[in-house]
Amino acid sequence: MSFYSFVEGPLLWIAFLTFIIGSLLQAVLFFSVSRKKDKIVYEHFSLKYVLASFFKWLLPINRTVAKNPIFMVLGYIFHICLIVVPIWLAGHIMLWEESRFEWYWTPIPDSVADWMTLIFLAIAVFFLLRRVISPDIRLISTFSDYFLLVITALPYATGYFLMHGTLDNVAFLSENMQLIHMLSGELMLILIPFTKLSHFVLFFFSRASTGIEFGRRGYSV
Amino acid sequence: MEEINAQKVTDFLKTRIGARFKTWMKICTHCGMCADTCHFYLASGKDSKMIPSYKVRFLVDILKKKGKVDKEYLDKVYSTVYHECNMCRRCTQYCPFGIDIALLISLLRAMLFDQNIAPEGLLKAIENYREFGNQMAVTDEDWVDTIQWCEEETAEELVGLTIPIDKVGAKMLYTVNAREPMFYPQDMMEVAKIFYVAGEDYTYSSKPGWDDTNLAMFCGDVKTARTIVENTFKRAEELEVQQVGVTE
Repeated sequence: MSFYSFVEGPLLWIAFLTFIIGSLLQAVLFFSVSRKKDKIVYEHFSLKYVLASFFKWLLPINRTVAKNPIFMVLGYIFHICLIVVPIWLAGHIMLWEESRFEWYWTPIPDSVADWMTLIFLAIAVFFLLRRVISPDIRLISTFSDYFLLVITALPYATGYFLMHGTLDNVAFLSENMQLIHMLSGELMLILIPFTKLSHFVLFFFSRASTGIEFGRRGYSV
Repeated sequence: MEEINAQKVTDFLKTRIGARFKTWMKICTHCGMCADTCHFYLASGKDSKMIPSYKVRFLVDILKKKGKVDKEYLDKVYSTVYHECNMCRRCTQYCPFGIDIALLISLLRAMLFDQNIAPEGLLKAIENYREFGNQMAVTDEDWVDTIQWCEEETAEELVGLTIPIDKVGAKMLYTVNAREPMFYPQDMMEVAKIFYVAGEDYTYSSKPGWDDTNLAMFCGDVKTARTIVENTFKRAEELEVQQVGVTE
């Protein structure tokens, strides 16, 4: 088996399974540990506060948006592009259709995907520069903050290069961009459960706990 | 350099770190949204070291070092968790993830207390709570004496005034800050006057539980903090009151 077909086949399976099972385990782990050590969350459990907390923070209707509108709105756009582009990209859906699953759903136009990718990358660069330039953010940043931002941006940059042949004048890149794109995407998927990228699951647990704790005291959830 | 028992540090932390603490330490993206919500940050001319998410870095750090830290390191932690955070929780209200920084700080304070590191005043107060049931080391006799003396003094102004002690079935058990009998008995006299004129059905308890401060809580001494609260509840049950009143 060539390296290319390994990356295209088994490694893709490994990446998706690591991502899905790893993320589920994060959730299972939270439940099992919290049952023993975070009883207060269950003793005061309130679906009202949990949902209110999700609603308020999944949408830009919280006090942090009012306080830091630019950063927060960019953050929301960043996450929307991050989720929408890989799932609704026509090129990706085509692969799902050709796969053993034969799944199909309506894609977004390629021009929209292009713009979303560029906006996503621009915001990623802004986040990176902000980390480097702002003395505040530079002090609190750790290696993984930089590393994971790059890891997250890579599949989008390489995907754009692949679609548009941006770097095709470099022979190695023009021949291997598809491989690099797949590898970068797989790397990101594999890293999600083990790093702070797992916040895509743990966000809900953290918000729920704090929603309950603050809600029951009559504070803002 | 004074040696710190690394095992003791990690054992203490690990038994107390549940799913929430683990999650919070893992997912903080260091976005900095908590920075200008902190009054220590704002009051210090926006000193980067005062950013809430920066102050809790010690917890992750200590676990990573498997508790192998020295006294000098713990002194640094002490300075941060006592002098740069008063656990007001305002940062949490602005954190997109809702990370409860104050709880993390509180855990660090508890860990330091386990190493016998806490502000001297708090350590002394805790000793007093354990021995006398109140933070000022007022004995039961002195406490009752003080109430009776307050009664005599106040009754000269308001004839017929009494201050009930251990009155079973009163509506309210009234509790004070132990500094009142010690330094400000006039506060107790003022309250006595108001209750008398208002016709309030209340009582003091002669036994521990009458001090409503809980300074043990501030250094994470959960055991003593619990005893203090339990004392008050015990007295309330014995005296069959409906309410517990807390001084201003």
